[in-house]
Amino acid sequence: MIYSKQYYLDIFKVDTATLDRLVQEGLSRGGNYCDIFFENTSYGSLLLRDGAVTSGGNHIDYGVGIRVLAGEKTGYAYSESTSPADMLSCAKAAARIADAPSEVSPYGTGSPSRGEPNPNADRYPMATPWGDLRMDSFLPFLSSLEARIREKDRRIVKITVSLAFQVSDILMYNSFRELKWDTRPMGSVSATAVFSQNGKTENKSTSRSFRTGAEMLSDSLADEIASEVVKGIDSRFEAIRPKGGKMPVVMGAGASGILLHEAMGHAFEADFNRKGTSIFSDKMGQRVCSSGINIIDDATIPGARGSLNYDDEGVPGQKTYMVEDGILTSYLHDRISAAHYGVKSTGNGRRESFRYAPLPRMRTTYMESGTARAEDLVSSVKKGIYVDEFSNGQVKIGEGDFTFFVKSGFLIENGRLTAPVKDINIIGNGPRALADIEGVADDLAIDPGAWTCGKEQSAPVSCGIPTVLIRELTVGGVK
Amino acid sequence: MKLTANEISIAEYCRDFCLRSGADKVRVTLTKSLMDLTGILNGEIDKTARALDRSIQLAIFADGRFGTFSSNRLDKEGLEEFILKAISTVKMLEADPFRNLPAPERLAKDAASGNELELYDPHYESLESNWRRDFSLGTSIWARKESIENGFRIIAEEGEYSDSVFDSLTIDSQGLYARHMETSFEIGYEVTVEDKDGNRYSSYWWDASPLLKDLKAVDCAEKAALRAAAQIGPEGIGSGKYAVVVDAECASKLLTPVLNALGGYALQQKNSFLEGALEKKIFPEVLDIWDCPREKGQTGSRLFDSEGVGTRTAPIIEKGVVKQYFLNTYVAAKMGMEPTVEDATRVVVKPIGECKTADDLLAKVRDCIYVTGFNGGNSNTSTGNFSYGIEGFLVKDGKIVCPLREMLMTGDFITLWNSIFATADDARPCMSKLIPTLAFANVDISA
Repeated sequence: MIYSKQYYLDIFKVDTATLDRLVQEGLSRGGNYCDIFFENTSYGSLLLRDGAVTSGGNHIDYGVGIRVLAGEKTGYAYSESTSPADMLSCAKAAARIADAPSEVSPYGTGSPSRGEPNPNADRYPMATPWGDLRMDSFLPFLSSLEARIREKDRRIVKITVSLAFQVSDILMYNSFRELKWDTRPMGSVSATAVFSQNGKTENKSTSRSFRTGAEMLSDSLADEIASEVVKGIDSRFEAIRPKGGKMPVVMGAGASGILLHEAMGHAFEADFNRKGTSIFSDKMGQRVCSSGINIIDDATIPGARGSLNYDDEGVPGQKTYMVEDGILTSYLHDRISAAHYGVKSTGNGRRESFRYAPLPRMRTTYMESGTARAEDLVSSVKKGIYVDEFSNGQVKIGEGDFTFFVKSGFLIENGRLTAPVKDINIIGNGPRALADIEGVADDLAIDPGAWTCGKEQSAPVSCGIPTVLIRELTVGGVK
Repeated sequence: MKLTANEISIAEYCRDFCLRSGADKVRVTLTKSLMDLTGILNGEIDKTARALDRSIQLAIFADGRFGTFSSNRLDKEGLEEFILKAISTVKMLEADPFRNLPAPERLAKDAASGNELELYDPHYESLESNWRRDFSLGTSIWARKESIENGFRIIAEEGEYSDSVFDSLTIDSQGLYARHMETSFEIGYEVTVEDKDGNRYSSYWWDASPLLKDLKAVDCAEKAALRAAAQIGPEGIGSGKYAVVVDAECASKLLTPVLNALGGYALQQKNSFLEGALEKKIFPEVLDIWDCPREKGQTGSRLFDSEGVGTRTAPIIEKGVVKQYFLNTYVAAKMGMEPTVEDATRVVVKPIGECKTADDLLAKVRDCIYVTGFNGGNSNTSTGNFSYGIEGFLVKDGKIVCPLREMLMTGDFITLWNSIFATADDARPCMSKLIPTLAFANVDISA
């Protein structure tokens, strides 16, 4: 949502003269770039447990962060007050970074976007702003969702349903005298059910999260979530831990994209490469996977959790090809890394809140569809694993080694999905797995779940992937 | 940077204003913290940050209903408006007869000054930005990296030093006044090295203490570098059942899910593999795990939990018997049980056997996999099954033979903990869970 400039200036009780004064103070000790990030976030939450919405709340987070750069060095301070005196104190504290010896080079590549934010280009308009509704207006949706889940499976013994929403008003100013503003909504619904069968217990959770207003709380959303929560629960009760070893892995479309995010996307973030810690730091312009494969990080998908009108440095959100036709073509840049590499920022400078300086972070990361059919990829595997739900991925950026927990999947035997599997890990190496992609199906799906990236700070992201066949990964199972 | 009298009066005003405005009961928690951080990249200052936070949290009970609220806007007028809206919101929720403040006799009565546990280091007040810069730079090994490089090259060194002060006050409408204050000093390094073939390996080391004199900062970066270099030349081994020694640095990965399974919400929601385990011998006779929250000057100590309930030294698992669930007032009422505390505060796994160090333990076990880190994986809270990526070393005749990679450790927690047969006595005091290096028999390893 993009309101008028004055709306934001009023919230933070500032004017452009004050902003210029703060920038001047920030640069007073020799820094060569300064930016100011204002945030006013209001949160709401409701929790349905044991059949009733008996817990809820509101939370407010308000403040301003001031950053000064001296070359690639960062000074940062923030205040929870936007009084001129408190902000000036922050600017002074951040300015001190320039006291440290540094090679100060002309900073940045100038202004990527001088115009004012355009409401017509808004990627997340709210038809029903969250703040326009009373909290009790959300209760029927939660109760309805719980009832829909309960009626789908008699083995359910517990259901928890929650709604969380937030609206962040953002105002940004910098020493290029660029003033940007944005209002970022986010609504998330999650549901967990615990099932009991013959003395065994299983649980399943699902979520939906979008940058949108309260109009997202529809009957169709409730139906979708209810169906998802019970989907595959029979398989979970029957699932086995398969025999471990190296074998082909077919990753199902959609949520498997988290592997792309963790195992490859982080290694493409420019700060890891600027510091020489990424395994891809000397691979720019080189082939990293088969021709025909494109890997993208995208801020432009309407309503997606990872979408942004502007990043947290005031750079317009955009679609960035990291891998094009199998060649590594771009890292994900914030202003610091863009200046380091002499390129334009890709609009990936993001932060958890005004309390943090921005870092290169992903938005919606996915692989474009290929030309294969998903069923053909499965049928091409004699013995392997099909995975449709991962969680708890972790990657070592330097080595590229990753491990992912498989929440659900199936054995592939002689080209057919057979026994369900669960509670196993898949381990591999990012560059090797990329190079080992043997087939990409034509069924790209962006997962609508509430994914949150935890690189030093939390940031909402989206991920997606078409069905993909990887020649060989290590699957941890029983002996 | 401690809470001021004026800030404390704001908390008291909020409590009273809630009661005047329709709340039946209320708990107010006021927190304030200040942190200064200095980042080092390859021997130079890379970033500095100063963070001052204040916020107020309200737990409001009204008409048999309950809600939680927080704001960092502490001006009186704004707070009044916020509280009125909060109470209005609470009254829109459904009634819940189990919501209540803790019984007064359970509340902490010995946390008046906030420094009863001696976690506040007065030296903090004299620290200045120049000292922070010099101290941080002094921990870097970049300028002398050639003296450390031995068959490898250090290609990146990234470190952070931070110091902070945290002060909180929790009061409620039945007379609770509980304050907790502590300083914290932390250092952490991540170092990436490259072998002669261009392969990269990275690792970390860190330390922390509430008291500056106890911070072990000098060798932090070097330890990180040596840990990274130790991974050079990994080999694979066959899948099978192995004795596994898990280093104290990462052993909490195996205990935290057990503690979570003893938590009230998991139990009440029937989502715990330890449901029905109270007072039953689930674990081996040799296993004693205690909550020791009241040790002076020790990381993680606290006199009260988030409800203001006084903590106490008590067994969690004693001679293999589960002695405690973690039940706050609400969950205990729903389960029809006696409340305890919200969560384990400072967990201590009592050593088993005579070994002092990890090396002693490796010499005792002789042939095993020595796990020094976990890489991904997960556990199932309902079943207790787990599967973790591990990194570490193959050990033969008590000596490290080679690093290992792409290995997984799988099993279920009850079986795993029943296979524990020895520990070292080397729990790291910088952690709030004091777990020594652990030795387990017959663990499934996939490689």
